[in-house]
Amino acid sequence: MAFDEMKSSDGGVRSPYKAYENWLLSVPPDLLPRKNEQADTLFRRLGITFAVYGDEEGTERLIPFDPIPRIIAAAEWKRLSEGCCQRVRALNAFLKDLYHDQEIVKAGVIPKAHIFGNGLYRPEMHGLDVARDVYIHIAGIDIVRTGESEFFVLEDNLRSPSGVSYMLENRAMMMRLFPDLFTRHHVAAVESYPDQLLKNLRSVAPTACDGDPTVVLMTPGYHNSAYFEHAFLAEQMGIELVEGRDLFVKDKLVYMRTTQGPKRVDVIYRRIDDDFLDPDAFNPESALGVRGLLEAYRAGGVTLANAIGTGVADDKATYTYVPEMVRFYLGEEPILANVPTWRLERDDERKYVLEHLAELVVKEVQGAGGYGMLVGPTSSKAEIEEFRGRILKNPSNYIAQPTLALSTVPTLVEKGIAPRHVDLRPYVLMGETATLVPGGLTRVALREGSLVVNSSQGGGTKDTWVLENDPC
Amino acid sequence: MLSRTAAHLYWMSRYMERAENITRFLEVANRMSLSAGKDRAAYWRPVLTIAGGEAAYSESYGERSAVSVIEFSVLDPANSSSIYGSLRAARENAHAVRSVIPSELWESLNTTWLETRGLDGARLRDQGLTSFCEWVRERSHQFRGITYGTMLRDEAFHFLRLGTFLERADNTARLLGVRATGVKAGNTEVDADDQMHWAAVLKSVSAFKAFRTVHGDNLTPVTAVDLLVMRDDMPRSLHACLDQVSLILGKLNPSAECSRLAGAAHAQLHWGRLDQLLARGLSRFISDFLTANNALGARIHEDFLLA
Repeated sequence: MAFDEMKSSDGGVRSPYKAYENWLLSVPPDLLPRKNEQADTLFRRLGITFAVYGDEEGTERLIPFDPIPRIIAAAEWKRLSEGCCQRVRALNAFLKDLYHDQEIVKAGVIPKAHIFGNGLYRPEMHGLDVARDVYIHIAGIDIVRTGESEFFVLEDNLRSPSGVSYMLENRAMMMRLFPDLFTRHHVAAVESYPDQLLKNLRSVAPTACDGDPTVVLMTPGYHNSAYFEHAFLAEQMGIELVEGRDLFVKDKLVYMRTTQGPKRVDVIYRRIDDDFLDPDAFNPESALGVRGLLEAYRAGGVTLANAIGTGVADDKATYTYVPEMVRFYLGEEPILANVPTWRLERDDERKYVLEHLAELVVKEVQGAGGYGMLVGPTSSKAEIEEFRGRILKNPSNYIAQPTLALSTVPTLVEKGIAPRHVDLRPYVLMGETATLVPGGLTRVALREGSLVVNSSQGGGTKDTWVLENDPC
Repeated sequence: MLSRTAAHLYWMSRYMERAENITRFLEVANRMSLSAGKDRAAYWRPVLTIAGGEAAYSESYGERSAVSVIEFSVLDPANSSSIYGSLRAARENAHAVRSVIPSELWESLNTTWLETRGLDGARLRDQGLTSFCEWVRERSHQFRGITYGTMLRDEAFHFLRLGTFLERADNTARLLGVRATGVKAGNTEVDADDQMHWAAVLKSVSAFKAFRTVHGDNLTPVTAVDLLVMRDDMPRSLHACLDQVSLILGKLNPSAECSRLAGAAHAQLHWGRLDQLLARGLSRFISDFLTANNALGARIHEDFLLA
């Protein structure tokens, strides 16, 4: 039985959910379905959609929204918040070290081969100082829960994590649908996220910036699946939403083309992968990037957020070393644990995994979005055998983890309210310090029994409430 | 404002205006061919001057016939200047600047596109060309109403309106050019076919009532041209379009080269006389006007949209 965040094992209601439960018992049973329909219409009208890759051109879908909040107690949050910030501080220190003196390799904590064999390691970054030593301006830390106090980090997203617009829009929607609930609960506000982000981005202006820094958000364009979020965040921060073709580099400085002539750009919050940033430096086929951007970046003419080359710190093999990084760089014990993970490049671990494929989850080291993974318990024999073949071809490309019984939260389904599995992605922002807006994106696997929460695989989202004060 | 944003706004409204004006060409052709005794197909040819061009048409269709001209200018997805292609382009441009335009405008354009996308030859015949044309114009009226009734009068609004008037000037000029041969100042001889043609032109731009108010029953090519070229109080006339274009460019940047070009073109209509403008015939006037209008469009790109 998975841990349910609302109902405790003795049949009672866990304390963060008590006030919600009382409210739920006081409203007519058709209220939630009605509100849910209303939410659907509103989301559609506002155009909060995402494009699905591989689908027919122009199709846009809503990510299903669930009207029952996921509630986190203040004390639980304190631990999560400290744990996530600690983790990101360590990862940031790791990136700085990796691209400078590589003390961690010299100390033998991480094998040299692991780093230099990693396709996401960027030699261009070596020896380069970035503004305020910040590499990870925005991180999304995926967390799962399996018990009363068992929280695990499932993965770190350090390139350009998406989903924060849903955190903000879901809250706005809940306040609109259920204003009375917010008078019964002290829910911590998430609305300051865009302000905090903008403040941080302005604080990392490059040395070449000699006035009020200009910040822009760079998108691959409106065909991108997260375009809505890019437009939303740019609007919320009041900054220009640019594409590569709007920018050009001259004398190692970056400019955008405006109707009033060229305008200097100091900080680029880019939602585009390293490979596509600059056709001169990376993928020459990229039509999305800006020629000379890397050179401008290396010369201190512009700041990129996140920095180039953060991918080496968030792949699933590096993940296994993060607790060591916390000890090595911060001299602290990790507050949040990793999910136990087998590295298939190691003979003994591979042997174990191959013998237990039917019980485990196997993932590609650099996979994302729920693609390229095997969920042993729900796969057929043939699927498992097919995956075994793939693993044997390139073992170091895979890691394996136990199938976790993700916690469940009550969710509105066709037949009423039923428990569904969830995860949580809070967003850590780094400027002068690492901070975490109290909340995050809760993703919920809507299909009964499913553990896959990705929106591309039929997952939905919930508003995530962090309570200001815990009830006694 | 980003140059690209300005370009999307400008082209969004140009394409919407083009879709509307293709229906006006279609209405003239439809009226004329229904009244003609012979060679009905010839009346459909002028539609191609606005909707994709003759060369592209001949390549994919060859022989000219009413049905195939309609198919090419209304529904052909491969023809970027068909109504289908124009509405698709208007919607694509709107999509790229969704956060800049009013949400009603995006919803309206998206709905227009989704309904057009579902259309095929059979459904168009079933609905009837005339009522389809009316529907497209209604959508265009709605587009205009939302922009005019809700948008802040800032740069975004100016670029959007600039596109509308530049496209409209082009389209009105092309419409006047459909039967320009032989139209000269002082030439008052009119045959019945001419009269029918110019009445159809006036009706297609919803200007017949205005014509009666201004010129009474004196319907000649020259009086019709007067209404659609010289009258600044006639919203689809060349003069009215250039009034707007030079006003808008003056607000955007009065010292830009395109503002000078627009001012010069405007002065010609504002201070000129029709008999002088038509001294070398309507055909010549129209082709000069179109050349100047294209040059103006290119210069607007250079001054604002490419940057």
